[in-house]
Amino acid sequence: MTTLIKNIIRFCVILLVQVLILNKVTLQWWAQPGGFPIFIPYLYPLFILLLPFETPVALLLFAGFLCGLSVDSFMNTAGMHAFATVLIAYFRINVLNALLPKNLSEYSGQTPSVKNMGWLPFIVYVSFLVVLHHAAFFTVELWSISNIGYLLLKIFASSATSVLLIIAYVLLFTRQSGGKSQRIM
Amino acid sequence: MRNFILFIRRFFNLILFLLLEVICIVLIARTQTVQGDDIMSSANLLIGNMYKQRNDVAYYFALRRMNDSLLRENIELRKRLTAQAETDVIYDSAATVPVSYTDSGKVVKYADYTYRTARVINNSVGNVNNYITLNRGEKDGVKKDMAVISANGAIGRVVNTSAHFATAISVLSKKQQVSAKLKDGTVGYVSWDGKDPSQLMMRDVPTQIKVRKGDTVFTTEYSFFPANIRIGTVYKTTLIKSKNLQVLYLRPTANFRNLQYVYIVENKMSAERRRLEEAAKKDDDK
Repeated sequence: MTTLIKNIIRFCVILLVQVLILNKVTLQWWAQPGGFPIFIPYLYPLFILLLPFETPVALLLFAGFLCGLSVDSFMNTAGMHAFATVLIAYFRINVLNALLPKNLSEYSGQTPSVKNMGWLPFIVYVSFLVVLHHAAFFTVELWSISNIGYLLLKIFASSATSVLLIIAYVLLFTRQSGGKSQRIM
Repeated sequence: MRNFILFIRRFFNLILFLLLEVICIVLIARTQTVQGDDIMSSANLLIGNMYKQRNDVAYYFALRRMNDSLLRENIELRKRLTAQAETDVIYDSAATVPVSYTDSGKVVKYADYTYRTARVINNSVGNVNNYITLNRGEKDGVKKDMAVISANGAIGRVVNTSAHFATAISVLSKKQQVSAKLKDGTVGYVSWDGKDPSQLMMRDVPTQIKVRKGDTVFTTEYSFFPANIRIGTVYKTTLIKSKNLQVLYLRPTANFRNLQYVYIVENKMSAERRRLEEAAKKDDDK
């Protein structure tokens, strides 16, 4: 399978999981009054995170825009998810450059994974971009910063859940053994 | 010119990034208003069908709960029916006989409602503005601005329709307020703060109005809803002493988390009424 087809299939699968299953899962960490806000876990930024290393930035931006708009059209939130996803698509390359020891061009034909990045850099990479995505999204969704404590709580709780979900996805759908780092999906 | 092209090439990614973000911000800004709901909606054929497929699966697991709620509604309707029969009032609810202007003795109904059932195929409570996708569309006569209610209470307003699907913005939305009244007729607005789906608020109620816990708040005839549909029951009140006002916290009577069947209410007089109100507004502006 070529990388392009693999990514298109992954895009469809992640999108369907997001809009048909995860959008129905409304979570709340503590249900007591005055406790944590309710939120939906977002898995779809993973599509941007797992694109190959050498994807040009322009293509990343368009992929992010398309991915965000698809989620938007399912959730009636024109532009909000697209805004956040384009943002992480733009900053992805900077974060990768800062975290990887070698130049990005030396990782030709590979995608970001635990195998070629190591556990700690991968988790830092995922959580930084997910927090960025969620911060942008929830700020735009609330459209005010008068309630900043609530906003920060929501960003924190929901990004922690999303990062856990993404790590679970990576553990499930990455081939753990075998010499070549290869992804099933 | 050459320098300009070089500049574009050098900052191409940044320019593209800013361009896409500006497109997103324009989209967001336009949907922040109540009027901007038709820019992007899940009422289109592809997404509607996908939601319908998903709901067909989930439908079977909700059958038992649905049966219970239908039974309860039947009991409620039977109660009202017997109440009507005992008081023995001859009351023509479907008065569609044209009334001539000489006929001033007859009472003309202010509104004439048609109810359509619809199934909720997608629903959310976790966002700041929550939308409901319904499996009825223009082909079934659903139009924009019709009210959506359930057996338990007010649900929302239709904002977008396609041939077979419609989306409604729910009462749990920051950008819309619902005209509401208390038992004694005090009128106000019910709004949602975007946080807890089991809490609505009615602000700016004067303190001299005594409100007790458990009082019900109803819809008024000023809004797109038919009058006297339950919205919520009061569970907490707070005083704002400086303004001499109180805030009522309501528990919504409808359970937004497990909506299955709703009614779309068409007000047959609404077009006429809106025309009249808009004409009055225009006169005001002059």
